[in-house]
Amino acid sequence: MSILLKVDNVHTHIGQYHILQGVSFEAKAGEVSVLLGRNGAGKTTTLKTIMGLTPATSGQITFNNKSIVKIPTHHIATGGIGYVPEDQGIFGALTVEENIKVAMKKEDDAALARQEYVLELFPDLKKYWKKDGGHLSGGQKQMLSMARAFVNESKLLLIDEPSKGLAPVVIEKVMEAINEMKKQTTIILVEQNFLMASKIGDTYTLIDDGETVQSGLMQELIENEDLKRKYLGIG
Amino acid sequence: MELLINLLINGLATGMLIFLLAAGLTLIFGLMDVLNFAHGGLFAWGAFSGVWLYGVTDSFTLAIIGAILTGVILGFITEKLIITPVYGNHVQQILITLGFMIVLSEMLKVVFGPNQLAAKTPPLLAGSWEIGDVIIIKYRLFIIIIGFIVFGIFQFILKRTKIGLIVRAGVMNKEMVQALGINIKQVFLYVFMTGAGLAALSGILMAPYSGVIYAEMGMEFAILAFIVVVIGGMGSFPGSLLAAILVGLAGSFMAYYVPALSLAVNMMLMAIVLIFRPQGLFTAKG
Amino acid sequence: MKSTFKVNNIILFVIIAALAIFPFVSDSRTWTILLTQIFIFSILAMSYDILLGYTGIVSFGHAMFFGMGAYATAIMLDRFEPTIGIFVLSIAVGMCIAGIISFLVGLLTLRLKSHFFAMLTMAVSGLFLVLAEKWRSLTFGNDGFTFRAPEFFKDRMMYYLLVLGCLVIVYFCLRRFVDSPLGRVLIAVRENEQRTKSLGYQTLHYKVIASVVAGVIASLAGSLYAVSLRFVNTSVLTMDITLDALLMTIIGGVGTLIGPIIGAGVIELAQHYLSGLAKEHPIFERWIIFFGIVYILAVIFFPRGIVGTFRYLFWKKKNPIKIANVPKRKGLAK
Repeated sequence: MSILLKVDNVHTHIGQYHILQGVSFEAKAGEVSVLLGRNGAGKTTTLKTIMGLTPATSGQITFNNKSIVKIPTHHIATGGIGYVPEDQGIFGALTVEENIKVAMKKEDDAALARQEYVLELFPDLKKYWKKDGGHLSGGQKQMLSMARAFVNESKLLLIDEPSKGLAPVVIEKVMEAINEMKKQTTIILVEQNFLMASKIGDTYTLIDDGETVQSGLMQELIENEDLKRKYLGIG
Repeated sequence: MELLINLLINGLATGMLIFLLAAGLTLIFGLMDVLNFAHGGLFAWGAFSGVWLYGVTDSFTLAIIGAILTGVILGFITEKLIITPVYGNHVQQILITLGFMIVLSEMLKVVFGPNQLAAKTPPLLAGSWEIGDVIIIKYRLFIIIIGFIVFGIFQFILKRTKIGLIVRAGVMNKEMVQALGINIKQVFLYVFMTGAGLAALSGILMAPYSGVIYAEMGMEFAILAFIVVVIGGMGSFPGSLLAAILVGLAGSFMAYYVPALSLAVNMMLMAIVLIFRPQGLFTAKG
Repeated sequence: MKSTFKVNNIILFVIIAALAIFPFVSDSRTWTILLTQIFIFSILAMSYDILLGYTGIVSFGHAMFFGMGAYATAIMLDRFEPTIGIFVLSIAVGMCIAGIISFLVGLLTLRLKSHFFAMLTMAVSGLFLVLAEKWRSLTFGNDGFTFRAPEFFKDRMMYYLLVLGCLVIVYFCLRRFVDSPLGRVLIAVRENEQRTKSLGYQTLHYKVIASVVAGVIASLAGSLYAVSLRFVNTSVLTMDITLDALLMTIIGGVGTLIGPIIGAGVIELAQHYLSGLAKEHPIFERWIIFFGIVYILAVIFFPRGIVGTFRYLFWKKKNPIKIANVPKRKGLAK
């Protein structure tokens, strides 16, 4: 399997704060790579850096063998990377329909067919098609955010803590959706919920204090009590 | 009764002029988080270029079109040279747009001379109608109609078109709009230029209404626009219309009944809103 | 560090001495008057620096405090006896009024975002201007009125020395103020208000204090200004005054206290020469545009102003920073 995204020794400064101090990992096509670590470790900043929202100050990021460190965010998005932020980024005063419409590049038959397909994955959205985004429940907002990122046939999806604040039953639904999306695209997931992460993830990367600590297969992490205890506070 | 109607029409007309100026300002602020203190300068340039064109071509229509064009071009220059370099830093923005306002005002004096200019009403729109005991001044009605038309057009664009959707989304969360692949900086430019065009339109419409134009009118009128933007809610397009009408009516009625307070009443309105409901009477951010 | 402190003080002393001796050495009336104006506006600009440079607040209404001082002094000297006693009393009265108003305005509006505060101060200042214009019985409106200054100041030289003295005192007081713990908090608010709040500081209180200090000092400048002209009209309350203070502070260097003094000097001198030039060569008539452009360029490229840029270059030469040496810190991700 080919490497879709490669993050190489990336440093990011926000103002005078040195947030990422050497993050490196790879995401292989068709896999779910999970970024794990404590609060404040730099996981969200890593996704934002890939997306260009907080540009890297040094290091290299290659997507499909092309460097994307100097590219503005909207080009990165149109280049095939979708982003589902931690707070979902729903446009509250716009309806579900309008939220998705903002994301769609074209409105021809192919695009509409794609939209139909995506809505099959997230049936709730169809139900509340005309409802304001701000009035959706937490889980529905998460679905909308993912649907919006997915409707454009992105090759890579960056998803930040989708399970945050959701009831276990809703988390199940989210996981189902991610498993479905996994069949068509590559996913980099940031998760604090280790249970969820271990079930979906193929590979893991542990980040602590803005640095990569270790990467490997998810299976290995599940069996490694020491790592889990030290960096995730589990066990 | 006729007094009431007169005050009403007066207030509505003034309100519409303020709305045109405030509409651009509020969209620019809502979308870009930029408070353009140079907006008044665009207004004044619209007035002067329009009046000059009218004097040269004798066509009010051409004057209006020319004024809007002037505004749009100046808007482009302003966004590229003044706004973009300091984007993100609020203090620098405030300072620099004010500085540009001064430059714009002084440039007016360079181009058109330091004196006041007289602005005449086009003959078609001059005069008034008499309906029973009520005298309705045609030009004021004209302004009110134009105001509503502009509002209608823009509401349509905002609610029914893709670009309008993007602007509304951008007001709520511009980072997300970028992450969805849209070049929000380009959208900023268009919105800014549009706002500038509206300001210039307000200027040329104002000219015959007040009869004279002078370089300082920009700053004076802009303060009213700021008040309206605050009261109506930063970023709320319909809010700016309602607030403008409110301010226009308040000013009109106050000027008649308690003239000493007429200028103060708007500032007091703004102060009250800022203290009790700083996000404005209406909000655009979802 | 201590050596630079001493050198700085010596330089300051020399400059002050030179300025003090000046009127005795030179016969030039123009220069005496010009320098007096520079001193007065230095005081105004320093007061603005407290707001903008040290606390990070942009006010568009500063003129109202200047005007309060000017009118308080003018009215009292006119209605009562033009004595030094009344003069001093009028300064105190002006400062009190300015202090109260700046306190109230600050309390009501400083909790708002910078944009709102700028607009509100612009509007309130405008209100005072209109008030002054309409209240003709007190202020004679736009026409203004002349009044007699205390005998002692009939001599330009004595007034020059008084104003210089005020400038020096105000400078040292403000210097103590900004170097004090309170001043440090103001700088913290300027740098990052959220952070300062989360450290437990009631930032609103500090901002209001800064507003009051600035307003009171501006009022002093206004009082001195009125007596220097022996005339006052509504021009002391216009936006022009606020813009002058703004320009002087920015071009001179925000957050430095010396900067505004230098800025005042630069701008007053330039205004003097340019308007002189304008009389001979009409092309200079719109020299304000020149200022506007310089100001805009300054905000974009030299936001630190003259003094600030000097200090920064000087500091950079002494402390070259290499990225590799930045120590690792526990970052605040997310």
